[in-house]
Amino acid sequence: MPSSLAGDLTDPEMTQPYMKKDDDEEEIEYSPFFGIEKGAVLQEARAFHDPQLDARRCSQVITKLLYLLNQGETFTKVEATEVFFAVTKLFQSKDAGLRRLVYLMIKELSPSSDEVIIVTSSLMKDMNSKTDMYRANAIRVLCRIIDGTLLTQIERYLKQAIVDKNPVIASASLVSGIHLLQENPEIVKRWSNEVQEAVQSRAALVQFHGLALLHQIRQNDRLAISKMVSGLTKGSVRSHLAQCLLIRYTSQVIRESTMNTQNGDRPFFDYLESCLRHKSEMVILEAARKIAEMDVTSRELAPAVTVLQLFLTSSKPVLRFAAVRTLNKVAMTRPLAVTNCNVDLESLMSDQNRSIATLAITTLLKTGNESSVDRLMKQITNFMSDITDEFKIVVVEAIRSLCLKFPLKHRSMMNFLSNSLREEGGFEYKKAIVDSIVTIISEIPDAKEIGLLYLCEFIEDCEFTYLSSQILHLLGNEGPRTSDPSRYIRYIYNRVILENATVRASAVSTLAKFGALVDALKPRIFVLLRRCLFDTDDEVRDRATLYLQTLDGEGAVGNTEKDVKEFLFGSLDVPLANLEASLRTYEPSEEPFDISFVSREVKSQPLHEKKAPGKKQLAGAPTPVPVSAVDAYQKMLSSIPEFSGFGKLFKSSEPVELTEAETEYAVNVVKHIYKGHIVLQYNCTNTIPEQLLENVIVYVDATDAEEFSEVCSKPLRSLPYDSPGQIFVAFEKPEHIPAAGKFSNVLKFIVKEVDISTGEVDEDGVEDEYQIEDLEIVSADYMLRVAVSNFRNAWEDMDPESERVDEYGLGVRESLAEAVSAVISILGMQPCEGTEVVPKNARSHACLLSGVFIGDVKVLVRLSFGLSGPKEVAMKLAVRSDDPQVSEKIHEIVASG
Amino acid sequence: MILAVLFSNSDGNILIERFHGVPAEERLHWRSFLVKLGADNLKGAKNEELLVASHKSVSIVYTMIGDVCLYIVGKDEYDELALAEVIFAVTSAVKDVCGKPPTERLFLDKYGRICLCLDEIVWKGLLENTEKDRVRRLIRLKPPVEP
Repeated sequence: MPSSLAGDLTDPEMTQPYMKKDDDEEEIEYSPFFGIEKGAVLQEARAFHDPQLDARRCSQVITKLLYLLNQGETFTKVEATEVFFAVTKLFQSKDAGLRRLVYLMIKELSPSSDEVIIVTSSLMKDMNSKTDMYRANAIRVLCRIIDGTLLTQIERYLKQAIVDKNPVIASASLVSGIHLLQENPEIVKRWSNEVQEAVQSRAALVQFHGLALLHQIRQNDRLAISKMVSGLTKGSVRSHLAQCLLIRYTSQVIRESTMNTQNGDRPFFDYLESCLRHKSEMVILEAARKIAEMDVTSRELAPAVTVLQLFLTSSKPVLRFAAVRTLNKVAMTRPLAVTNCNVDLESLMSDQNRSIATLAITTLLKTGNESSVDRLMKQITNFMSDITDEFKIVVVEAIRSLCLKFPLKHRSMMNFLSNSLREEGGFEYKKAIVDSIVTIISEIPDAKEIGLLYLCEFIEDCEFTYLSSQILHLLGNEGPRTSDPSRYIRYIYNRVILENATVRASAVSTLAKFGALVDALKPRIFVLLRRCLFDTDDEVRDRATLYLQTLDGEGAVGNTEKDVKEFLFGSLDVPLANLEASLRTYEPSEEPFDISFVSREVKSQPLHEKKAPGKKQLAGAPTPVPVSAVDAYQKMLSSIPEFSGFGKLFKSSEPVELTEAETEYAVNVVKHIYKGHIVLQYNCTNTIPEQLLENVIVYVDATDAEEFSEVCSKPLRSLPYDSPGQIFVAFEKPEHIPAAGKFSNVLKFIVKEVDISTGEVDEDGVEDEYQIEDLEIVSADYMLRVAVSNFRNAWEDMDPESERVDEYGLGVRESLAEAVSAVISILGMQPCEGTEVVPKNARSHACLLSGVFIGDVKVLVRLSFGLSGPKEVAMKLAVRSDDPQVSEKIHEIVASG
Repeated sequence: MILAVLFSNSDGNILIERFHGVPAEERLHWRSFLVKLGADNLKGAKNEELLVASHKSVSIVYTMIGDVCLYIVGKDEYDELALAEVIFAVTSAVKDVCGKPPTERLFLDKYGRICLCLDEIVWKGLLENTEKDRVRRLIRLKPPVEP
């Protein structure tokens, strides 16, 4: 390369036309690309066509094109094609510097498949060039732009390149292999032997790239990975980057195997431990991190924690960060293992790098003991003023957890949170604090009154309407039940005077709640509400009017005190998402919108999350059920004349798979429950391209379901390949009774051969049948998962006479959590207030459930679990419902489950 | 995967950006996020002092070299430690090309060669070369000198 080229991209000459001439002093500050325009640069690119190429000028133009691309400038298809063709002309030049830029430019332009052909011959030539550097670059460019067909043609060269003695060529082909593996795995997998040879290379980077590719090629072969790791951990790995990869793969092997522990011989773990003494810091940290992630004994964990502790005082921020991040993770599950590091962590609280400081604090909040809470709070207070909201939120969340851990210390932590509320901060931060205070209030009864007062102070100066409304709502529910409800009224009424209409309306509702629950305050609340009748906003006036009438006992809403409370405190028993979906589909007509037709079924999220990732979704299976699925089912079923007389659809289940994945015919069933009927909807998919199924029916044997009698069946006339269809079978059952039973199913059909190439169907068919799995109707199918927003209020509002209590022994269970989830699934009810989550190591647990039983009967359940012996679980079940018989029914369900 | 390599000037204007495996519609978000991160934290930072941030499995290592800010974003195997290797390779190469920690002007003067260095160091989201001497030779299409 001419040495002048180094100056080509730097030469002031190039920049001159773009500089202002009138200000000599500032001239030097102007960008060399000042005033650059795409059109002008494209014009300049014509220089690429010159018969006498000026390498220096061409390099300058390419640099400008690169700059434009990096500035987000886009080329139209025509422009890109023109530039691409022009750039390919530059292969004529022998100038090495220009050639290097040409390689980069082609990659940047990513030519389309029809253009690639223009440049492949030049690149193939370069790939076989005597100049090694041409070869390495040509490989990288080719691998970026070619498709599978062309790859087969150059595969031979690539395999050679992998074992080339020049490390640059070997690395270029290995890294290309990693990229190509995504699109053409079957080709790259054939290079396994060459890659294995590269892993043994003396060049550090070749070994690193080779190891990464080899692992990807063999990632699904557990035994091969284990062998690979076993071989390399004994040998020498030259690059510290490769060593880190090896540590990761080793920990993967340990995780997936159980063989190490048999005779106490643990070569892989010993390898990880030996890496803690490696000379490279990166390797030590990686090993410590992997050991910390594993399920090891405290003794095995200790050396890893010790090296991490040493890194806490490193002068390199990345090492400090990596160490504190790992310790933070360890502290989540094993806080005691990290307590030795507390002194170093405390000194990191003043670290310049705020990420490190925040991690240190949140770690300390997990490892700290009760006696250190006050000191910690003091230190954090100093720290909070100089971090951003994002970090503050992390700290607030950690404090919430700490407060729940040490309830006796709630005062100092609540005090901290209330001080934080007074400081400057954005919505998310303030919301995090308010949410934390609300959680603490609900979990720690002693903290309630002080927490409510802090929130009252906050709304005096709160700029966020959402938060003010939320707090006013909370005050309405909790304030009247405190020792001195009158102290809150001033704060609430101030909102009516000073706030915007939304907050004023919320405040009016809150005042009404105090009026309803605290008789002594009622006359004074009336005075305040009457003042609101003159508000400028109609919503505020309407609310005030409505509440005055309601509380007076003269209104239309209800006359009894119970009705008033139900109206004021009762939750909207329809999930908002369902209400929204129904309102969206409502077409204005003479028939008014009827909220009772809105589905009350809460979408059950966890079921979908449990699905294995990557599992093939069958086209016919309407999973996951969208929020408005019940509406859609109702519409679909009522359009079928046979089912139109069944009345209102009470519930539709999630689809239940009746076949294994990847079978010839995929079938799942949705159970539709009506007052006196059930409809089974079988969703069928034919997954064999060579077959057409006709007259498909499901033969349902209901011998084990005595209370059900089949009334009609709707077969499917034809079921072509990959085009799902539905078969319906309807049964009659006693009204309002949660009849249970087991149904066995056989798919019967006529199968006809299909010629895939022509699509022709053979006229003659053969009768055949296909056994699918049994299906059960259980009590939970008659229960809608309906949430209540405030369980305690809802419970208290229900007639205590309807309550039925009993105790049950659940026998030996795997864990308390398992027992809780089993009872929830037997009842099919909605867990409330997060009570379905059982804290680790808990010996007892209370769980709250709500639902609506068939016949539209509201049901609430309180479950108290306790561990009586080793894993022996006992349960107390209390049920309240609108109908005492249903309360008894719930006990029957549990007793028989 | 190295998700992004981004150079900006101290005012937050982008000088070079390379994204890998980041959908086009998310790039704007990343760009503004990184620039804001730098504006919040790089003021007053020492030359080449590394700063770190992370969110879930995504790590960010960033620094100031001369007048230019450099951000590198990675995920999975490219955690803060691996990214520190990458950023070290990039800053060494930039200093080598410019002869010193660059001013914005100097950086733009050497723009083409910096792009080439980047092409040698990070290739489609993977770290390829790390040593500045080797990179210096490779961008001139000269074979590396074996130790």
